[in-house]
Amino acid sequence: MAETFVIETADLKKDYGGVEAVRGLNLQVPVGSIYGLLGRNGAGKTTTIKVLLGMAYSTSGVARVFGLAASEPRASVEIRRRTGFVSEDKDLYDSMTVEQIVRFTAAFFPRWRGDLASRYLRLFELPPDRKVGTLSRGTRAKLALLLALCRGAELLVLDEPTSGLDPAVSEEVLKALVTHVASEAMTVFLSSHRIAEIDQIADHVAIIDQGRAVVAGTLDDIRDSYRRIQLVFDGGAPERPFRAPGVIRVQRTGRVLTILSSRGAEAVLDEARALRPASVDVLPLTLKEIFLETVKAED
Amino acid sequence: MLWYKSWLDTRWRFLIPLAILSINAWGLVIEYAPVAKVFTSIRVESTGSGVLGRAIQEALDAERTYPGYIWYQWFRQNLMQIGTLCAALLGSGNLLSGPTGSALFTLSMPASRNRWLAVRATMGLGQSFALALVPSLVFPLMSPAIGQHYDFATAIVHVICAFAVSAVFFSLAFLLSTVFPDIPRPLVIACGVAIVLGLIETEFDLHGLFRVMSGSTYFHSGSLPWAGLLISGVLSAALLGGAAMNIARKDF
Repeated sequence: MAETFVIETADLKKDYGGVEAVRGLNLQVPVGSIYGLLGRNGAGKTTTIKVLLGMAYSTSGVARVFGLAASEPRASVEIRRRTGFVSEDKDLYDSMTVEQIVRFTAAFFPRWRGDLASRYLRLFELPPDRKVGTLSRGTRAKLALLLALCRGAELLVLDEPTSGLDPAVSEEVLKALVTHVASEAMTVFLSSHRIAEIDQIADHVAIIDQGRAVVAGTLDDIRDSYRRIQLVFDGGAPERPFRAPGVIRVQRTGRVLTILSSRGAEAVLDEARALRPASVDVLPLTLKEIFLETVKAED
Repeated sequence: MLWYKSWLDTRWRFLIPLAILSINAWGLVIEYAPVAKVFTSIRVESTGSGVLGRAIQEALDAERTYPGYIWYQWFRQNLMQIGTLCAALLGSGNLLSGPTGSALFTLSMPASRNRWLAVRATMGLGQSFALALVPSLVFPLMSPAIGQHYDFATAIVHVICAFAVSAVFFSLAFLLSTVFPDIPRPLVIACGVAIVLGLIETEFDLHGLFRVMSGSTYFHSGSLPWAGLLISGVLSAALLGGAAMNIARKDF
């Protein structure tokens, strides 16, 4: 298979003792993209990542990374050889020192970037002799990022990389990540519930809710296709369903009818003109608004 | 690096008991002279036929000689009890991450779960063997210092018997650790099983695991408990296989 997509899932399902964490997830992560997986807490982001890295097994469906089946143990080892990973809790070995854990991790990866490791140790001001367990949350996050970035990986999987960090450290971590990705040929798969973070660095986005992708595509396409159309009438707004494709929600408030569309405004406007509104406004949506609207629509 | 990690995770659970057992073995050698005096002065008409009586009689019979004293005090008691406890301790804990780590970081490395487990099991079994071997070598090496002799080959045979059965309890704790990824629960359950087996064996005078562990047949008749050793090996392999199966299909 030509690797046009680094990660592909098709109808991926995972349940834990009857609780469905992922319910038919379809994702396609293009090579070289910075792909943001956006969702509320408990939406299935971490479970998806665990399935992709062979830490959990899917109940059904397909999960492939580099064209390799994630559920197959040998393929999973190869996937992890080519992947850098930072977990949500920045799980590391507390009893090792910073230097020990860097050496430990380096031994597993033939393409380990010792030059980068030295640079990030200085940049992040990581104390080599300190035990990992004694590091602050922010320093620990930087160490986890260093260990992921220096693997010489083709894919970087980051699960809530700035979770629990203060804004200054978050910014520092994201800046290091963006700088690194700009200079290395790699794909980044980043999960977060922080919309601003995804908006800041991702070029592709999937909004995941209740284990399903409700929106997926390039960030620009998504921004272009979502529109809020406001129709103001002289009298009360008419109660009328809209049949145009992509209409997500129609809200009637006094003289104003607000239509949310996921496929641009044209088809909705064609339908709306027949209602003879006094004025028409077409407004773009921010990623935050798109997220909140789509997640609300799923509820 | 897998070995290094496994060593870091278990070193104190190995080194501290190793020191304690070695000191204990050394103490037994030093204490022999006063203990022998006491034993030669004891006159017992009858110890009775109960569990306690049988135990006293066995001790009195065995400890009339220096090799008997070493066998009873060390291989029949101290090593058997402490060795079982230490084996269970070495088999307990989070097998993929160690006491202060995380399985997710371990599982993000390009090594299969089976490989992690195999290294951890081999390290633990190696440490269990060393816990039986190193202190036991005190006897052939140090006995001449008190004018006694303890055969090297005899020590090795007893070490093999002790290790074979301690491996069963290591493997039991190892299997339990795939269900309870902490140290206390697998340790307590494995030790609980050992205590119950020991009590049953003593009460009904059975040829069970602990009799194999003590090398009783070798001490009394010079024959190795082959069947017991084989059963111990099979049991250990089955328990370790069960642990591997549990880990292989586990979601983290």
